[in-house]
Amino acid sequence: MTRLEPHLRDTGLECRVEVRDRLAILIPGKGGDEGHLSAEQRRLILQVAKSEGFTHVAVELDPVGAALSGG
Amino acid sequence: MEPTVVDAATSLKETQLADWLRERYSVLIGYSGGVDSTYLAVLAREVLGRDNVFAVLGRSASVPAAQSESARAIAIERDIALRVVETSELSDERYAANPVNRCYFCKSTLWQTLVPLARELGVETILDGTNADDVFEYRPGARAGSEHDIQSPLALVGLTKSEIRVLSRARGLATWSQPSAPCLASRIPYGTAVTSERLGQVERAEQALRDLGISGNLRVRHHGDLARIELEPAVLDQWLDDSNARRLAAVVRAAGFARVAIDLRGFRSGSLNVLEGVVAA
Repeated sequence: MTRLEPHLRDTGLECRVEVRDRLAILIPGKGGDEGHLSAEQRRLILQVAKSEGFTHVAVELDPVGAALSGG
Repeated sequence: MEPTVVDAATSLKETQLADWLRERYSVLIGYSGGVDSTYLAVLAREVLGRDNVFAVLGRSASVPAAQSESARAIAIERDIALRVVETSELSDERYAANPVNRCYFCKSTLWQTLVPLARELGVETILDGTNADDVFEYRPGARAGSEHDIQSPLALVGLTKSEIRVLSRARGLATWSQPSAPCLASRIPYGTAVTSERLGQVERAEQALRDLGISGNLRVRHHGDLARIELEPAVLDQWLDDSNARRLAAVVRAAGFARVAIDLRGFRSGSLNVLEGVVAA
């Protein structure tokens, strides 16, 4: 597990993180609340990910029919 | 916001460009139908006349079919003599291996095809659409141009992309607002082989997204089983909406990707160069 996962959890975002070099792929869990990431949430995620050395962050779309749940 | 009026400095650069073209009797232009080479071809046609300007479109799996068709339509509309040549960069192992200087091998193939064609047509000067902004970017293909004595008059007179857009608009060219369209291989990370299959996946996925109504800059980056979509930041909210996100995922999966992700920062020109540390983040 990358350190990014607990850091994101601290911001209220529950997800798995798949690391591909400097790309972090956020994978929403099953049963997340409906809704999507606001601009402010995205900014926060990018900031946290950058501090962990990631240059790119992407969120997987509809991986198992679940939505990303943000705080 | 992009300026919409041709100011005196830009107008002067266009005059200098026209004078430079006039000093050449005839020119052959590496033409893609993009913003820069279209403007150059149209101005050259105005200055030198139809019989002395040849626009040559390189066609291969790395160029979207829709882009080639658009380029052809513009040439017909503007009465520009168009030649279409098949380029075979994919058969060059050095290109297909996708090193960081991949563009060098692609452009070498293009110019190796166009130089003899120019000779056959009796044309001494071959031009490309490199502009003044391009000079400051990471562009290994530029070396191939130098090796084949390709001239870049847009850069020579200092015309930037935004100035070329303004001048294109003033000429009624639809390309003035067209997003930049680098070849499809730019969506594949360095070190991952460029194949017809991968290029086809990217082309189908990007076309499917356009068909959903997404305009502006858009890229589908190829990460093996996963497609990473980059959209203009201004439309991210709209497409991260749950039902729209499912639509995005469905059409990109249908293009041949098992998984689909959307980049949270949005479109970045040269994004893979940043990801792989070729240029600074």
